[in-house]
Amino acid sequence: MAVGPTVKKIRDAYQGKIKLVVKNFPYILRDYSHIAAEASLAARDQGKYWEMYELLLARSPKLDRASLISYAQLLGLDIKKFSESIDGKKHAPEIERDKKLAADLYVFSTPTFFINGRKFVGDRPFESFKKIIDEELKSVS
Amino acid sequence: MLKSLFALISCAFLFECAAIPAFAGTLVPLESVPVPPQNVQTPEKIELGKKLFFDRRLSGDGTMNCATCHDPERAFTDGLELSLSYPTTRNWRNSPTLINAAFQKQLFHDGRVRTLEEQALFPMMSAFEMNRNLDFVEEVIRSVPEYVDAFQKVFGGEVTRERMAMAIAAFERTLISLNAPIDKHLRGDRQALSEDAKKGLAIFRGKGRCADCHFGSLLSDDRFHALNVPENQEHRSDPRIAATRRFVAKVYHYEDFRNLTEDPGRYLITKDKKDWKAFRTPTLREVAKTAPYMHNGIFPTLDDVIEFFDKGGGKGNTVLKPLVLNDREKKYLKAFLSEALTGEDVVIRYPNVPDAR
Repeated sequence: MAVGPTVKKIRDAYQGKIKLVVKNFPYILRDYSHIAAEASLAARDQGKYWEMYELLLARSPKLDRASLISYAQLLGLDIKKFSESIDGKKHAPEIERDKKLAADLYVFSTPTFFINGRKFVGDRPFESFKKIIDEELKSVS
Repeated sequence: MLKSLFALISCAFLFECAAIPAFAGTLVPLESVPVPPQNVQTPEKIELGKKLFFDRRLSGDGTMNCATCHDPERAFTDGLELSLSYPTTRNWRNSPTLINAAFQKQLFHDGRVRTLEEQALFPMMSAFEMNRNLDFVEEVIRSVPEYVDAFQKVFGGEVTRERMAMAIAAFERTLISLNAPIDKHLRGDRQALSEDAKKGLAIFRGKGRCADCHFGSLLSDDRFHALNVPENQEHRSDPRIAATRRFVAKVYHYEDFRNLTEDPGRYLITKDKKDWKAFRTPTLREVAKTAPYMHNGIFPTLDDVIEFFDKGGGKGNTVLKPLVLNDREKKYLKAFLSEALTGEDVVIRYPNVPDAR
């Protein structure tokens, strides 16, 4: 959540030059982390992944079911489909694959970033990311 | 022929002696890790400590663990000027490496504790680090059957914060970098250092005066010196860092904490005027891997550090004098720092943190 504004700044600064891939790493002790992950993917099914992503970051920690449904309404999603998806844990297999990937990569903290394979842990200042991204862009150009 | 060889060796020896001022400390190789008798090492304790080290339960919001700021892939630092911090806060100092911390006599930049056991709980309860109430974290760890069993096996009793700290300290005592080129050189291997590094070592011990404070097995005198390192400008620009600074000063009963605009260093601990802006001499072992440098990460490279010392330190300091190193001497000194002080990689097997995922 705390790193949300930094990630937005990165996306704005490097539009067209970088690709952001989000992997879910819901934490067992955060009550709503799994259902929030389900909500983001349910929104993706209806073409509104990034809009839901922004809302979840902005509205965290209000990520209980009722709040998630209200966000879906805000985004104009089909609520019946959305509710069935999160209640039925439709995307549990994908989320479990993401969690296994995190385990395989020895990820223990959120957020953890991989920038062209280079791992960085934690909510870092934008300048820290900029330095790394600029290095990587230079190396591939 | 033999007489000539003897004369040559004698001259070389005398030259080396003449280059070393009488006050420079001696460099010695790293030897065995000191282990306190109250906290002996066992494989089970080390494994328990490692699990705790990587367990996000130790932070208030479950996002952080010890490895967040002491990342194994970053020489157990986090590679930032100012260390990572609890979400919505900012740290005010650089994250030092844990590699070889077991040898230190004092810990933290201000030396407020003397043992790894004492150190382990500070970041856990710090409002701008892991922000976890210690009474609460005991109950959180007690909720995990695997931990309850492990504490029983390792300590013969229940989970306590002291035992958590002992286990984490036991793990940290395994983070040792051995066989650095300097160790091999000190043990007599004349091929261990490149020619440039050897010249750098001579400067380190001589004209550079580095060994006045960076000596012993850790290349640190474990003392505190006010070099007047420039303030990190982020301290001025980010109000969250100012909040951290005032908070720490308040906690240490510094009366004028509301108006504090710079890092007073060890003064907060001792209230001794001579300790104003004094910070612990850090180890130089693994220095090539632990940029950026100084208590506030203000210098990104070793070149910047060498320039700082060459100019005689920060404005108004009374500890250092200009060295007047030429470019070649700086190059040799950097070669020594870059090449000679990095030991074998500290490789760990990542733990299976109980019910972590």
